[in-house]
Amino acid sequence: MRLFYLVKKEFIETFRQKEMLPLIFIAPILQIIILGYVVTTDIKNIPVEIINLSKNRASFEIVQRITSSPLFNVKNISNQDKDALDTLKRGRVKAVIRLQDPRPKAGKALNYPEIQVSMDGIDSNTSAIAAGYFNGIIKKYILEDLARKGRQMPVDTHTQIRFNPELKSINYMGPGIVALLLTISTVFFTSVSLVREKEQQTMDTLLISRLTPVEIYIGKAIPLAVLGLVQASLGMAVVMLWFKTPVRGNLLYLLLSALVFLPAILSYGLLISTLASTQQQALFFSWFSMITFMLLSGLFTPIENIHPAIRPLADINPVRYLIKIIREIFLKGNGVEYFYRDLLALAMIAITVITLSILNFKRFISR
Amino acid sequence: MTPPIIEIRSLTKKFGRFTAVNAISFDIQPGEILGFLGPNGAGKTTTIKMINGLLKITSGQVLIKGLDAEKHRRRIKKITGYMSQKFSLYPLLNALENIEFFGGISGLNAKQIKGKQAEIGQTVDPVILKQNVQDIPPGIRQKVALFVCLMTDPEIIFLDEPTSGVDPEVRRNFWLEIYRLKKEGKTLLVSTHNLDEVEYADRLLIIHRGNIILQGEPETLRQTHGKESIQELFIDAIRADENGQGEGA
Amino acid sequence: MKRIKAVMVKEFAHIRRDPASLLVVFLMPLVMMFIYGYALNFDIKEIKAGIIDYSGGDLSRSLIEKFANNRYFVIEDLAARYADPIKAGEELLKAGKLKEVIIIPADFSRRLKGGQKADLGIIIDGSDSNVANLVYQYNELIILDFLSAFQDLKELISLDTKIYFNPEVKSAFFFIPGLIAILLIMISALLTSISISREKETGTIDLVFISPLKSSEIIIGKTIPYILVSLVAGATILVFTRFWFGIPIRGSLLVLFVFSLLYVLTGLSFGILISTLAPSQKTAMFGALLATILPSVMLSGFIFPLDSLSPVLRGISHLVPATYFLKIIRGVILKGAELKHFLFEGVAMAVFSLVFITLAIAKFSRIRKKAK
Repeated sequence: MRLFYLVKKEFIETFRQKEMLPLIFIAPILQIIILGYVVTTDIKNIPVEIINLSKNRASFEIVQRITSSPLFNVKNISNQDKDALDTLKRGRVKAVIRLQDPRPKAGKALNYPEIQVSMDGIDSNTSAIAAGYFNGIIKKYILEDLARKGRQMPVDTHTQIRFNPELKSINYMGPGIVALLLTISTVFFTSVSLVREKEQQTMDTLLISRLTPVEIYIGKAIPLAVLGLVQASLGMAVVMLWFKTPVRGNLLYLLLSALVFLPAILSYGLLISTLASTQQQALFFSWFSMITFMLLSGLFTPIENIHPAIRPLADINPVRYLIKIIREIFLKGNGVEYFYRDLLALAMIAITVITLSILNFKRFISR
Repeated sequence: MTPPIIEIRSLTKKFGRFTAVNAISFDIQPGEILGFLGPNGAGKTTTIKMINGLLKITSGQVLIKGLDAEKHRRRIKKITGYMSQKFSLYPLLNALENIEFFGGISGLNAKQIKGKQAEIGQTVDPVILKQNVQDIPPGIRQKVALFVCLMTDPEIIFLDEPTSGVDPEVRRNFWLEIYRLKKEGKTLLVSTHNLDEVEYADRLLIIHRGNIILQGEPETLRQTHGKESIQELFIDAIRADENGQGEGA
Repeated sequence: MKRIKAVMVKEFAHIRRDPASLLVVFLMPLVMMFIYGYALNFDIKEIKAGIIDYSGGDLSRSLIEKFANNRYFVIEDLAARYADPIKAGEELLKAGKLKEVIIIPADFSRRLKGGQKADLGIIIDGSDSNVANLVYQYNELIILDFLSAFQDLKELISLDTKIYFNPEVKSAFFFIPGLIAILLIMISALLTSISISREKETGTIDLVFISPLKSSEIIIGKTIPYILVSLVAGATILVFTRFWFGIPIRGSLLVLFVFSLLYVLTGLSFGILISTLAPSQKTAMFGALLATILPSVMLSGFIFPLDSLSPVLRGISHLVPATYFLKIIRGVILKGAELKHFLFEGVAMAVFSLVFITLAIAKFSRIRKKAK
């Protein structure tokens, strides 16, 4: 079969380029390891400053607990009052916690200090979580104090965490990063492949042969798909072995999703290479696309939050569906009955992009 | 006279507003070597590419064995061979792998491919055959490229500047090979801008700025225009065309 | 000095004759601002909670009401819709349609009224640990609020939380200044990255090599014209930020200008360094994009808080210019901070520029010597 010889040639060419080997095998491993550590968004070590004006025993204990908590990084404890706003403006701490002795309220003497928390609200995510941590510390203290006095909280809440009991964010982000890297490297290798053919001026030889445009297209796509799968597998291995992310679902579903996803992203890469008139344009547009895919994929911020005006972009973003599916398979162990709709969306995107890409490819070769 | 094997009728190629080939017409007789001569940028490669379907024809017609080339491309590909200007072998593959690839996509089966690989081993040092094409001398590269072009035993062969960048000795051997092919009954179109190869062709076509300014047998043309040599004829013809006095075919 | 001016004039001419890329330089960041500004948002919009009330007493209903009235929660009564509400709840969690399931046992109201301890069951989808944490915290707050109706728990401790700079807690305030930082360094690095590599490609570099200009004059002369271009691009982005996204600029524009200048210089000098190192324009572009965007997005505090990074990565973040500028831009725009607050950051950026330019000059001199 003619296609076999084309695919074989592509593989020989790829592996004869010495620069390629580390890019194919080592780069994905390194990238996942580094990114894995970066995107672990477990918020901790929040820098705060404490102003303790209270002589209360409770105040002392609370300050102790905040200081010894790994969630907070107490930069300074002072006994003198200062302007919280100015401190926050400097940006070295995210919150200023001020404790003072309680003033009687409605005639009742209170046991616990008055606490004012001034928070830098710019990073709304961190400040919400910081407030939560802080509330947690206070509440824990109160409960324990009450227990010592023989009183207890009327309601005992039993909370179970499903799917990610240790609440490790790497479990949530890790699989997503693999999807992202698969996207980036596929688009990169695709553009390189076509550019190489152009630079070697061997494109004509392909065209004059008995290969049809579709065959040329597929012949170039198959090795790229295989490379993509190899890289994705390496990435998965890192996520599972290095970061010890558990996989609850069936990996075959993962393979299925990858097989639907790859043609979509490959065709997209080929489409860009054939639409661009210069290499700079192709490069530039692939970069722009990849960043957009990345930021609109639900990897860093939730899809539901995307403004309606931009929503359509997220809806045609294949990476978004892949990430959702990967997360469901890894964390929830979901089978295809849960995500068939996403798979369908992926398939539709794939078919549309492939068609556009092949049509444009045909136009591109017959100048 | 026998019917021409190739007929070109008012073939034109425009790139935007630039006319690269301007309504040229000519015939090629079966079994002849047609020399396609002209300076760089004259339109030789463009014409050959159009005939072979690598460029879209703006207007005009190409008939090969009576069939419209655009409509019957598949059938025509089976009887034509093409060697491009840069020899177009894959630089990262070695000669044997190139042969395997081109053989495979041209429909040769594994046994035939092996046969071809053995065949080239008889004229080229096997050690060189295993080196990447980008590392072997241009003379051998040209030999391999020609071999690849002939692998499917085509009836009609198009060679676009096949002798560029090779030394005279290699060039002479090349033309001996061309004559051998002619003896086997093949038809050949060879384009070149080397004046000393001009005499090897049966008929000449001189093209300049997209127009044919001279056509005919080399010796006849020389005598008709009263020039001492073909080279002189060629230079004068080009000069005349540039000054706006085309000498017509 | 006069010679530097000559180089500058030539470079300006280049810029003027290439209106297409200028358009790209201005249009592209606007487009990116528009798309990403509207896309990046981690405000919690709604927490879908499924409630299974086995009790039906007035106290349990009161608790449910507290959840329902909270603007972050959207509740669904599972017991009313499904025959096996717990199974349905688990399924909905798996399908991602609910973030949590709250189970109120049958004796809830009875026990509370009788002064005994009552139980409450909650199952949270822990996939996104950040969201899970937030949900957990909100739960606690609501339950506490519910309980304060009984006991003087609220009276026990007076806790007053005030949120500065972003009272409506919109993440646009967080992301958009960040985007400005990312875009500015990307643009400035891109602009200069093609400058020398273009000359290498077209071969005019040889003419430059044999000119009487000193290497330092050439490099500096090639960098300065782009300062203007980058600053204009930056100003355009800022206008867009203020008037389209409605982000107020609380600090002084002058302070912003000064620091932006320093920042743009780091980008430009980095770009020119890449330009001397890269063999072709496309490698230069690729290198510039890669080296500016990835670290700036990942390691500067743009999305992921620096304090949460491991010490190694936090160390690396100090090598990323965007880290410093991000602090400055958020401080000045959102907090109204002043120059004195960021002396260290300003100096850091100046040092970066100096280092990059020096390296660029050194590399350029070296290849110039080799060419001779």
